Amino acid sequence: MIINKKYLLSILFIYQVAIYSQTDWVRWEKSDLTYQLKNNYLEREYDLSIESVSDVIVKPVINAYWFFVSDVDGANCPFQPSCSSFLVQSIKETNVFQGVVMFFDRFTRDTNIFGRHEHYPRYGKNHFYDPVSLYTLEEENINYIPAKTYVNE
Amino acid sequence: MLKIFYLIILLSSIMFSQQIDFQSPENIKLFADFLFCDNDYLRAIDEYEKYLVAVDDDLVQFKITIAYSSMNDCENAINKLGLIKKTSPFYEQSKIELLKSLYLQNIDSVFYAVAETLINSKSLYANNAYRLKNTALLLSKTELPEKESFLIPFEVEEKKTISDFYNLKKNPPYKSEALAGVLSAIIPGSGKIYTKDYGDGITAFLLTGLFTYLAYTNFEHDHPTRAWIFAALGAGFYVGNIYGSVASAQIFNAKVNFEFNEGVKLFLEDKKYFTPNYDFCK
Repeated sequence: MIINKKYLLSILFIYQVAIYSQTDWVRWEKSDLTYQLKNNYLEREYDLSIESVSDVIVKPVINAYWFFVSDVDGANCPFQPSCSSFLVQSIKETNVFQGVVMFFDRFTRDTNIFGRHEHYPRYGKNHFYDPVSLYTLEEENINYIPAKTYVNE
Repeated sequence: MLKIFYLIILLSSIMFSQQIDFQSPENIKLFADFLFCDNDYLRAIDEYEKYLVAVDDDLVQFKITIAYSSMNDCENAINKLGLIKKTSPFYEQSKIELLKSLYLQNIDSVFYAVAETLINSKSLYANNAYRLKNTALLLSKTELPEKESFLIPFEVEEKKTISDFYNLKKNPPYKSEALAGVLSAIIPGSGKIYTKDYGDGITAFLLTGLFTYLAYTNFEHDHPTRAWIFAALGAGFYVGNIYGSVASAQIFNAKVNFEFNEGVKLFLEDKKYFTPNYDFCK
């Protein structure tokens, strides 16, 4: 039987391509598309445990804000940590009075929309990094990170 | 016939290639030198170590330390530098390399002790050690000597930069935290403008002003509940801004320190920590 070399070569080539394409199962497997933005920078700690007197008022208010407003509305705060998380963290690291004062200062920075890109390091794609440790008035805690630097905690 | 000819050529070339002893010390060294000049230091060190098993070579021993030093593996560099003999032609260089590694490892006490020994010796690199020590002093918390004596070891072209660093270290352009707070207490936002946070300063002024105005008009028109809410918010922004101005001054000062330290470190890197230039890869 005479085999046409051209056909044989073509068959071998197609066969090899077909076999090879089947080896990469993981890459080609069916997956469901999702258009949801990743919110992994949001670390909601829904916590109502009472550790200090201030927690009686602050924690329910913050948890209610997160549950009824923030999580529904989406992650719109330009900062990391977000303003509400900043309040919780600042109260945890200092005390309720200093924490609230720090929050008012943070809210001022949040309201100012000018010059943010030249002022803050970046966190992820869309957030500015503005940690509590910079504002506790303890100089040894200040770890200065230059603006426009990308931060990954 | 032609096929046989090709086969002979092919076979002989295969045979010939097998004749080369890739593991001979000379070839190991050649390969290691190639890797070293290609900045593939880790593999170069492996090959040099293999070579040193067969041959005792001062140059190769020194190149191993340079390879470790180039990778900022100061611990291994220091260990290897300790193995360089006094009779080695690279003994003098090894001392300044040791000083560089000690500086990079942040072992201050040992660094200054070795630096002093080297400066007071008749070493070729005594002046290099003096320059490295003085530049390192800029980054330490110890008091600097008089400017005249501080600048003595530096070359003419370095003196301008070092003099600027010296002035910055002596008189850093810090902002006063107290003044920032007082300014914001007098005019909301002015403390932040003083610390060059112009946007935040103007925003603080507008927010405090707005809530104060709202509180005032509501009190005037006999709406006490609303008035007290606005007054509380206004007071919050007012106090928050005073606090924020103090924090802003602290951050400004941290930025000044950071930029100064980075500037000195870049200068040292640019000067290769005052180590000599080696032409191993010519």
